Amino acid sequence: MAEVHVIGQIMGATGFSESSLLCKWGVHTGPGFVSPWAAWKLLSGVREGQTQVDTPQIGDMAYWSHPIDLHFATKGLQGWPRLHLQVWSQDSFGRCQLAGYGFCHVPSSPGTHQLDCPTWRPLGSWREQLARAFVGGGPQLLHGDAIYSGADRYRLHTTSGGTVHLELSLLLRHFDRYGVEC
Amino acid sequence: MAAAAPSVFLLMVNGQVESAQFPEYDDLYCKYCFVYGQDWAPTAGLEEGISQITSKSQDARRALVWNFPIDVTFKSTNPYGWPQIVLSVYGPDVFGNDVVRGYGAVHVPLSPGRHKKTIPMFVPESTSKLQKFTSWFMGRRPEYTDPKVVAQGEGREGGNTEAVIPKAAWICLPAWLTLSFCPQ
Repeated sequence: MAEVHVIGQIMGATGFSESSLLCKWGVHTGPGFVSPWAAWKLLSGVREGQTQVDTPQIGDMAYWSHPIDLHFATKGLQGWPRLHLQVWSQDSFGRCQLAGYGFCHVPSSPGTHQLDCPTWRPLGSWREQLARAFVGGGPQLLHGDAIYSGADRYRLHTTSGGTVHLELSLLLRHFDRYGVEC
Repeated sequence: MAAAAPSVFLLMVNGQVESAQFPEYDDLYCKYCFVYGQDWAPTAGLEEGISQITSKSQDARRALVWNFPIDVTFKSTNPYGWPQIVLSVYGPDVFGNDVVRGYGAVHVPLSPGRHKKTIPMFVPESTSKLQKFTSWFMGRRPEYTDPKVVAQGEGREGGNTEAVIPKAAWICLPAWLTLSFCPQ
């Protein structure tokens, strides 16, 4: 089996209008269609997690420095891992409000990569937008897979959030046995 | 086909903790330690260290320079658990107590060569205003009983801490630590 190591950090986020941000992240692998021979197995590491809440004191960027260390084994290239992110903001009462959804593919060439993942959030009707401005809350996705799949996106009307910055390093092993050059 | 025997590889890290920028604090020292997975073990060099106390330069940079050497070699059979260096910076507060000014962690670079990394530092902070005042007054800030927790991903939600400190939220200080790595 070929092996993929993803080692890096979710460094932080910029461009969000809210402060006190936290990020919930997860990795999704596997085919978009059912395929018996392409299966990804997570050998070590946690598939999802949540960062701490960070409040920037100076400047715009919220820093998390959240470590990511994943070890996958696979027999096929389909379903290359995708990192999906949800950025939430926390107010002084401890309530969380959605700031943005985003996803990015894990890079496929070995080495260290700087990734910038843009985010978006569902807009809702004008009433919901007004309520969100005053009281907080706002629409959220019921099922998280719309974040990383394109299937039903046309139903959504969204607005942009900020950008999440990641630094991921990739180590690949045994891919030449399967005829994949990297 | 028989499985290949696990092969051992070595990771040599040479470098230094160069300097830091902490606009609000002075007279700081830093401690470093490494956090790594189960398949890793240090074979040579020092795994942890405490630097000297340094004061800000008088010029416009206002930098705190340590130039503190890091020299360690690890051996492993598996890249999982790649070592992270955890840095904690301490300094005196108004009353003269030694308090933590920032924690930071970063993976040792994965490719050979010369790397310069600048990492943000953050401190845990209490969410209640009364707790913040009491801790300022008594000189007992929220502090991690084991700084290695900074290098772990689990348990960060809600800023869990142990022992003395009740629930803490994290605040990132506008502080930068510059490291230079020359791993091979």
